[in-house]
Amino acid sequence: MALLEVTNLVAGYGKVEVISDVSFSLEPGKSIGIVGPNGVGKSTLLQAIAGGIAPKSGSIIFDGKSIAGKKPEDIVRLGLSLVPEGRQIFSGLSVKENLALGLTGRRNKKGATEAILKMRELFPVLSTHENHQAGMLSGGQQQQLAIARALISEPKVLLLDEPSLGLAPTVITDVFERLKEIIGMGTAVVIVEQRANLVTSFAEKTIVIRDGKVQATLTPADAANSESLQRSYFGAGE
Amino acid sequence: MVQSILDAISLGGLYSLAALGLGLVFGVMRLVNFAHAELITIAAYTLVLTTQFPLAISLLFTIIVTVFVALLMEISIYRRLRGVNPAIMLIASFGLSTVLQRVYELMFGALPRSAVVAPFLRGDFKIAGLSITISSIITIVLTIVILLAMGYLVERTSLGLQLRAASADFKTARLLGVRSNRLISAAFGLSGVLAACVALILVIQNPQISPYYGLNITILSLVGIVIGGIASLRGAALGGFIVGVVLSSLNTLLGNGRVYAYSWLFLLVLVILLVRPGGLLSKGSELERV
Repeated sequence: MALLEVTNLVAGYGKVEVISDVSFSLEPGKSIGIVGPNGVGKSTLLQAIAGGIAPKSGSIIFDGKSIAGKKPEDIVRLGLSLVPEGRQIFSGLSVKENLALGLTGRRNKKGATEAILKMRELFPVLSTHENHQAGMLSGGQQQQLAIARALISEPKVLLLDEPSLGLAPTVITDVFERLKEIIGMGTAVVIVEQRANLVTSFAEKTIVIRDGKVQATLTPADAANSESLQRSYFGAGE
Repeated sequence: MVQSILDAISLGGLYSLAALGLGLVFGVMRLVNFAHAELITIAAYTLVLTTQFPLAISLLFTIIVTVFVALLMEISIYRRLRGVNPAIMLIASFGLSTVLQRVYELMFGALPRSAVVAPFLRGDFKIAGLSITISSIITIVLTIVILLAMGYLVERTSLGLQLRAASADFKTARLLGVRSNRLISAAFGLSGVLAACVALILVIQNPQISPYYGLNITILSLVGIVIGGIASLRGAALGGFIVGVVLSSLNTLLGNGRVYAYSWLFLLVLVILLVRPGGLLSKGSELERV
């Protein structure tokens, strides 16, 4: 049974429809990639799932319950956490305080200390800098902090919006290694990425969004075929 | 001279508290709540109308009434407007401020109401031959205690952490689980408590309460918030303090020319804003409120 099921989702801002018909499903402990050119609505899709914007129509079923239109603070408590684009860490707060904020969305208030210790283990660099201002961390460290902060609420599904944005290639590899570990621990992951090759080879399946709709579904095998990948990404004949 | 310095510090502290009350609400809602003046006014009225009770009871009652009005403001008006253009929120706060002034006029009359609150805090005492007013010392002590308590709440508690995070980026704070309604109500409640504390200090110094009683201090505290850094609670407190100290000092230094004190104050404000447009404690560009 799918943990997250998005069906015929329509979402946008004001009267503008950014995504007009998107459907996909995700099983527990699995990963899905979402790729597509700039401005096709990948981030809008994640925001609609996480409660940042209300969908215009369609359904979002998470863990058997409809979450479409619910407040973001309620959705995170149900076990669905978003790492937003650009990381959005609180640069004026310390690393420790950023992590503590992640505890706000925990369903179970017990085990908070253990959750923080677990994150320190998974992201050792955060322990080293825990009293530093988060804004002083490097881009890669900030990304790790953003992921750790979202994971502290122990989500069943982690949504990541462009985790590789602005990072050096070696740092990207490191971040994706961590994501593998997170999936290995049983958390399902949805990754929105511009780097189609990277996410297609990483996720179990990847959907391509163009013109507000799902245009293709790719598997890691497609990552090796750059021509097929480009065709899916930009559309046939373009 | 000593009394002038104490007056400057006590006025600075008072403006700092008022600015902090405004800053708390601005932080979580990006709302410049002009109706904060009416919270101070209702607190002042409650204090002078309950002088028959011991001060502690009167103050407790005042805090309850002011917090109630603050929450009523938030739930009945601002919550319904949440997410609209900030200019609309600003106009709404102007409107609410004017309506409440008229309501107070109908309830308490247009003429000032007065009563001596805490008479034991009036008068002065002598130290090393210097005459010092009790109210200035009490104001400073009270301000320090309240600022320390607020500092503890904002810096050391979970609510404070959520307030600081929401002040920086409310949308991301919500994604992490910060409950928007609860946090905004908490900010309004705290601003009500601060308004009651400000009213207590003001009433000790000037017990002539009119429907516009809180207006002057609120406008000058808003100036303080802009000077200190509009998105920072520390900035709000610092800016309020600076405005109070400068205004008090100008009143002393200018002598008969004190009618120009406001002109000099606003000239200084303009200079500060030209040098640091984001305020003294600003760190970067404003974050967008969603």
